[in-house]
Amino acid sequence: MGGKVTCTLGEVKQRADFIIYWGGNPAECHPRHFSKYTLMQKSKFLPKGRKDRTMVLVDIRETKSVKASDIFLQVRPGKDFELITILRALVKEQQVTDEQIEETGLSREALNDLVSRMKAAKFGCMFFGMGLSMTRGKHMNSAALLTLAAEMNAFTKFVAMPMRGHGNVTGADVIMRWQTGFPFGISFNRGYPRYNPGEFSTIDVLVRGDCDAAFIIGADPGGTMPQPAINHLKRIPTIVLDPHITHTSKLARVHITTAAQGIAAPGTAYRMDEIPMPLKPALKSPYPSDEEVVRRINEAIAKKPFWLPEGSMPQMVTEQV
Amino acid sequence: MLRITGGKVYDPANKIDGQIKDLNIDADGKFSDGQCDSRTIDATGMIVMPGGVDVHTHVAGGAINFARAMTPEDHRRTQAFIRTKTRRSGLGGMAPTTFATGYLYAGMGWTTVNEAAVPVLSARHTHEELADIPIVDKSTLTLMANNEIMLDQMEAGEYERARDVVAWYIWAAKSYGVKAVNPGGVAAWKWGGDARNLSSPIEGYNKLTPGTIVTQLARICDDLGLPHPMHLHCNDLGAPGNIKTTLDTLKHLEGSRAHIAHSQYHAYGGDGWETICSATAELAEYFNSHPNITTDAGAVIFGDTVTITADGPWQHLLYKLTGRKWGNLDVENETGCGIVPYTYRPSNLVNAVQWACGLELLLLIQSPWQVFLSTDHPNGGCFWRYPEIIKLLMSRDFRDECIKKLPSNIKNKIVLPEIAREYTLMDVATSMSAGPARALGLKQKGNLGTGCDGDVVIYDQEDDPGEMFAHPRYVIKAGEVIIDDGEIREAPDGREYIAKPFYDPATNDFMRPLFEDCYTMQFENYPVEIERVHGASIHDCKNDQDS
Amino acid sequence: MSPTASKSDTPLQVIDNATCTFCGCVCDDIQLHHDEMRIHKAKKACVLGSAWFLNHTAEKKYPSALIDGKEATVDEAIEEAARLLHEADMPLVYGMSNTTCEAQKECAALADSLGGLLDSHTSL
Repeated sequence: MGGKVTCTLGEVKQRADFIIYWGGNPAECHPRHFSKYTLMQKSKFLPKGRKDRTMVLVDIRETKSVKASDIFLQVRPGKDFELITILRALVKEQQVTDEQIEETGLSREALNDLVSRMKAAKFGCMFFGMGLSMTRGKHMNSAALLTLAAEMNAFTKFVAMPMRGHGNVTGADVIMRWQTGFPFGISFNRGYPRYNPGEFSTIDVLVRGDCDAAFIIGADPGGTMPQPAINHLKRIPTIVLDPHITHTSKLARVHITTAAQGIAAPGTAYRMDEIPMPLKPALKSPYPSDEEVVRRINEAIAKKPFWLPEGSMPQMVTEQV
Repeated sequence: MLRITGGKVYDPANKIDGQIKDLNIDADGKFSDGQCDSRTIDATGMIVMPGGVDVHTHVAGGAINFARAMTPEDHRRTQAFIRTKTRRSGLGGMAPTTFATGYLYAGMGWTTVNEAAVPVLSARHTHEELADIPIVDKSTLTLMANNEIMLDQMEAGEYERARDVVAWYIWAAKSYGVKAVNPGGVAAWKWGGDARNLSSPIEGYNKLTPGTIVTQLARICDDLGLPHPMHLHCNDLGAPGNIKTTLDTLKHLEGSRAHIAHSQYHAYGGDGWETICSATAELAEYFNSHPNITTDAGAVIFGDTVTITADGPWQHLLYKLTGRKWGNLDVENETGCGIVPYTYRPSNLVNAVQWACGLELLLLIQSPWQVFLSTDHPNGGCFWRYPEIIKLLMSRDFRDECIKKLPSNIKNKIVLPEIAREYTLMDVATSMSAGPARALGLKQKGNLGTGCDGDVVIYDQEDDPGEMFAHPRYVIKAGEVIIDDGEIREAPDGREYIAKPFYDPATNDFMRPLFEDCYTMQFENYPVEIERVHGASIHDCKNDQDS
Repeated sequence: MSPTASKSDTPLQVIDNATCTFCGCVCDDIQLHHDEMRIHKAKKACVLGSAWFLNHTAEKKYPSALIDGKEATVDEAIEEAARLLHEADMPLVYGMSNTTCEAQKECAALADSLGGLLDSHTSL
């Protein structure tokens, strides 16, 4: 199975009587998620609001989000994939051994109770955070959870959604998909987009020393990436656009200060459920917007000779398999 | 600006059927009577038609973009458009990227496309994507038949209110008209249900039936004076025996204009996957006696594709049938969306029946002004495969050859082998351009008459219509030569058509509390700002009614 | 930073239904009170959102641009950036979290025209 069974946040607000947060800490990372979208809202289908909803939190440790939950399941670190796989089996009434359950740090009673609640829900929703998608198993964990959500639809309505994080990273995903077909990890080396995470993703590219210039915008890899990646950024010409002088700015050949999006720069940002929201800046920045600067860089490059001489390549290629 | 001389012109809107005629396009990109002395294309011996118009396709927005994310393996094996100094790169395939969508449509002579399914909540996204589809002109339809605020008005018997709500949404979305998908069924899907017949109340409602939604929404589109009638995806799509539901739906439309989308998927007899058979003869008969209703074929072509539709419950069924990837996206208050990759195989009896049904409808409905070329891209197949369908329509021999590859037990299930009709070039020009343009209410399209948009496709006459239609000699958009002998010359931005229906100004105040109950966005931020629609061309419905 | 009341006589200007881009919630119901130089209050915003709005000002805190650590004009920096990127064989365009969709589109166009690499935070 692959794919994603999901909805917009308003569906959760209106209908979700059963909510699971897995590997996320919304109380501290998405503080209004509970009040605006998931737990506290009343609706025509859930007139008593919080009382009509059940919230389960699955995480490796007690976070501030535990207080908001009805049930907290503390999974052993690194055992999320196993737990999801066991749940998929239990949902389908397949056999699971005691040893398998023990490995997850949870009891059979707790898991049976969870499964019966999931099936009894009218509308279930699972939100998963970086505690699931960035720990042992990574995208395999996300895929397993998405599969569980899809399979639950044999019993009742069930959806899942990643707790997309920082800023407008969702917007980058959405736009790259429509312009290139792929969400990230793209190479235009052949004159058209190709996708290969692990080969074309930034850390891998930097650690291997594959790129010979870097243009960094709306991120500070100089403060967050592994040292070998940072060392390569120092070696090559790096260009940074940011409202602040960042760690990366300090190792860059060029830094351009830009206006902060939504505060001093207008435009659009995508919500975690891929709904575009208009921005309404309050301040007039003394700095240009990212959009303006990148557009002007594009215009300056357009005046230079093109890297692929016109006529040296066909207009189209077809790679038949 | 441009002069085209000596070509054999097929211009159904002006009843020109293969006569030699010169065309002149002025500096504004429109056909004119006067001669211009700029560039001349000598089209002697060539075939000249108005640029193609796709009445029903899915090329931009959350759903197709979800499909792109789900099919990276296809992107890698498909046709790639290489970056040039002035033109963006792109990928073709089952769910082409935006830039490639423009190149591919223009490359086969299509110059106008109608994106047939837009949730208002993500309409900003759709418009942004459309702005990145070069060359072609565009319009969009707003998904309405499962909008709970509207359904509540219909349940309460408040027709005028419902009409104002629809008009409010069309303008909020900056769209061109109304799309109805599985009326009531997608709303029921929000609880995992469906609505498969027209007379049972919808889950969550006491009285309201899909039949009432169909009747009232069609009337609303007419009353609002929208240029395009209600664009309807009927209930019970894809199911064996659904011809009963489809004919019942058509009876609910008596007296109204309507466009029935992808009718191939709604023309099945039988009572299960084993017994499924074509019921196109019955459906075609209805169209033949009701000239106020139009349809597009939603034809199926064998091969890989990805299905995307607002019909969430159908996609759940398709996922269960195929066990392939499943994407689902329910949109608060408004609609749903499902995505499942699919392969149509000639050896599969159901797929073979579907393939025959699409062609049968295109051939059995007598007037090409009523039935239009479509695959419901990408559902029945990708739009860039239209030339294969044209070849099937123009050549009975080719059809017979293809029928031989179908399972032998298909004989009593389809009527295609008995159909002798072959499309003429005039039929093709009507079904691919003049007809859909008229149905969309785009008077300046699909028409080579004075004052209309200078969108022209010119073919070298060839024996194989598949080859001929796949590789136009020239494609001209608003007087500009876009394609010349298989090369993309220019990739200008297209326009977007939007409609402005009238609604009671008090609708804003009426909508606000209802909106705040079910949405998660601020009421003020919800409507798409007109500045966000690139190249907007507004059709004022009210003025239309007054005049 | 704590919101300090404006000392000037002019009352604060108010922006309704402003959108916060700090986290993936992208709340669009924020009321911003500002005096054109800084935002003094972000009503309805959470702790993270308030800090986000109040920490950015319209002051010119940093130089417009730096080339090799030295102050430069934006025009010079744009030319230099274009030169460096154009000269590279395999430039990387990365980030795009804290920026608008409009800028992201320009970034995708940049990587496309350079024949380079394009990647976001998602790949981490």
